[in-house]
Amino acid sequence: MGEMDVYLSVFLDEARENLQNLNDALLGLESDMKNLEKVNEIFRIMHTLKGMAGTLGFDGLAKLCHTMENTFDKIRNHQMTVNEDIIDLLFKGLDTLGESLDDIASGGNGDTQAVKTLKDGFESILKGQKSEQKVEPFKQAQVKEEPIQEKTVSSVDSAFFIEDSTKVILKNVYDKAKERGLNFYFIKVTLSEGVQLKLARAFMIQHKFDEMGCEVVYSDPSTEDIESEKFDRELVFGIVTSVDPKFLAENLKSISEVEKIQIDDFFTSVNKKAVVTDDADGAASEKHVDSQNAELSEESEHKDDNPAQPTKKKLKLSQSIRVDINKLDELMNLMAELVIARSRIAETLKKFSIKEVDESLSQLSRITLDLQNVVMKVRMVPVSFVFNRFPRLTRDIAKELGKEINFIMQGEETELDRTVVDEIGDPLIHLLRNSLDHGIESPEERIAKGKPKIGTIRLSARHEGNGVIIEIEDDGKGMDKEKILKKALEKGLVDQTTASSMKDEEILALSFLPGLSTKDKATELSGRGVGMDVVKSTVESLKGTVTLESEKGRGTIVRIRMPLTLAIIEALLVTVKDYVYAIPIANIDTTQKIADGEIKVVQDREVFMLRGEVIPVIRLRELFGYSRTENLKQENIVIIKVGNKKYGVIVDKLLGQDDIVIKSLGSMLSDVKEFSGGAILGDGRIALILDVSSLM
Amino acid sequence: MGKRILIVDDAAFMRMILKDIITKAGYELAGEAQNGQEAIDKYKELKPDFVTMDITMPVMDGIQAIKQIKTIDPNSRVIVCSAMGQQAMVIEAIQSGARDFIVKPFQPNRVIEAIQKLEQG
Repeated sequence: MGEMDVYLSVFLDEARENLQNLNDALLGLESDMKNLEKVNEIFRIMHTLKGMAGTLGFDGLAKLCHTMENTFDKIRNHQMTVNEDIIDLLFKGLDTLGESLDDIASGGNGDTQAVKTLKDGFESILKGQKSEQKVEPFKQAQVKEEPIQEKTVSSVDSAFFIEDSTKVILKNVYDKAKERGLNFYFIKVTLSEGVQLKLARAFMIQHKFDEMGCEVVYSDPSTEDIESEKFDRELVFGIVTSVDPKFLAENLKSISEVEKIQIDDFFTSVNKKAVVTDDADGAASEKHVDSQNAELSEESEHKDDNPAQPTKKKLKLSQSIRVDINKLDELMNLMAELVIARSRIAETLKKFSIKEVDESLSQLSRITLDLQNVVMKVRMVPVSFVFNRFPRLTRDIAKELGKEINFIMQGEETELDRTVVDEIGDPLIHLLRNSLDHGIESPEERIAKGKPKIGTIRLSARHEGNGVIIEIEDDGKGMDKEKILKKALEKGLVDQTTASSMKDEEILALSFLPGLSTKDKATELSGRGVGMDVVKSTVESLKGTVTLESEKGRGTIVRIRMPLTLAIIEALLVTVKDYVYAIPIANIDTTQKIADGEIKVVQDREVFMLRGEVIPVIRLRELFGYSRTENLKQENIVIIKVGNKKYGVIVDKLLGQDDIVIKSLGSMLSDVKEFSGGAILGDGRIALILDVSSLM
Repeated sequence: MGKRILIVDDAAFMRMILKDIITKAGYELAGEAQNGQEAIDKYKELKPDFVTMDITMPVMDGIQAIKQIKTIDPNSRVIVCSAMGQQAMVIEAIQSGARDFIVKPFQPNRVIEAIQKLEQG
């Protein structure tokens, strides 16, 4: 069994990797449907997956992969052409495969209903039937039959008694639900004895269904009867949903005066067999198995039919674990303590100079250093963590809005602190939606304006200075400064006199104020006037900044700058007197030795000529209040670059480069502007980090 | 610590009854309000965990108050208190964002059940 687990974990890892590749390939294929290379790639991925699934006996999954592979084989051999329907079906397939893997990961066999449905979908394509059997909205198929009066069958097993004629109609609904990859459940809700205002209670149940994204397609008693309170304590609903039945049961149980919930799959229900029974007090999860339906036991097997073991056996997967970020902070602090302790031991032992100890001590040093590196890196994740889902997201939104876009991502490998990466997702989604919804024009509009029909949105991340810049750039219609200003005046956010003297940047920044939306009509996606201010506050809570650049008719760039507050930076370590200071490498232009005579005094300031450029010079000794070193022939100067400005600092010695962890100086020292923080070095010494932008 | 509840009812008697029910069950009274407007003000001030809200009240009725409280705090948990025969009002209150309802005359166990269900959800 243990061996099997290892197989599984490898299988899942690799299968997921393949799905990610499939996702990328599909996006590529969608933008260029004749791209044979992508077709081949997808064919290969499907083939690989099929083989993997088959080996471990996941036949359902293997069959689906097989039909998908066959489809692509035909495309490859020019027997079929790629069209939007196929692409859509493939994206659905991607989701279904993912779900199937999830099912396997949680102990199932991956043979979900959706897998079967999708396989049929591809088979029908292969047979040359168009896959255009667009599902009618359920409203038309809604069944509101008269309640079945003779429903007094007494046994427990017949929780769901559905008249044969109704079954036929419902079967139709069921089939359509399956085509869409949805499930059909019968849910019986039993209300508590003495329930008051039954209609309101029933309404709450319906409300709950709506909230959970369930479509009620059948009810017994009928809606009319419920509305006239013609029912006792039992209500049966037929619902179509993608929601997990356990989740359904739990949510329904959270409604007051609900005594019992029973949920049945469509077929099991037709065969009168309950799958999940949840008492309102949540204690027992029992199950009724009708022995007459032994042929269905195969299905119930993987659904857990052993009341003694209500939870499925979960497989232990070794790929990743979630760790509370506070624990990492703690680990980091302990690490620093360890480094300090080690250097103390080293100091003490130096006095005795024992050879044997020296050797093991240097080994200890190496290990601590490695350990420190590992701990530091643990917190960092590439932004691709959040970026990965954006191609799909933008594709879906663009499709919904009827816009055509070319979505480009750059610098996904840029690493950011985990906390920042986690938080930055929502603001980015918001900004992408803004760009798609308000920025990029419809294809017709773009053509009319003489722009390329397909809009471009570029999402990029890069390190700049002591932070990361994330930019969302679109070539849409840009922001209308006059309109923003007008709106701000209307809302009294600025007064007339300030308005007339505002710079473009300042006007654009007004859009970050709460309650200012220039969109006259709010759409489903964005523009409720709650957008940009939320983005701004989220970014600022992470100590970042957002700026806008926009030109009417040309597009907009939203630039988010995130400092690496608790991140590792590369720093140049220097000494001034006997103390070590760190200067972020990212801000260093060059270091060099200069003769003292090269420093000139111009207008009471010391300057230095670097490649024909006049650069102000700061002597750190003077800044920190130490006496100047007696006239040296040469000085070490570090040229620092902030934005497009440069200046030089004179230090005593250059020690070298190191990765350091920025630690805040704490609130007591928050007004010390020369330093942005401190760091504990490998040898236990403390280095203050120069705040290069405030030294200027 | 016991969850804090704001009781809104124009009748001091009803407030007293509710107060007894909840404090006996270990909850804490965050405050009382006599009408919808007061309820909104108290809600902002006290930030209670739960609110019991009468429907028919002077100045501002419970449904209006629920709507406004919902805009102040989308996660607010308001339980509507109604009398028999106010079914339509109860439904409107739920549509406006109330999370449950209890019916007068109050049965202590029903009141507590409603609160507990909301605590779980």
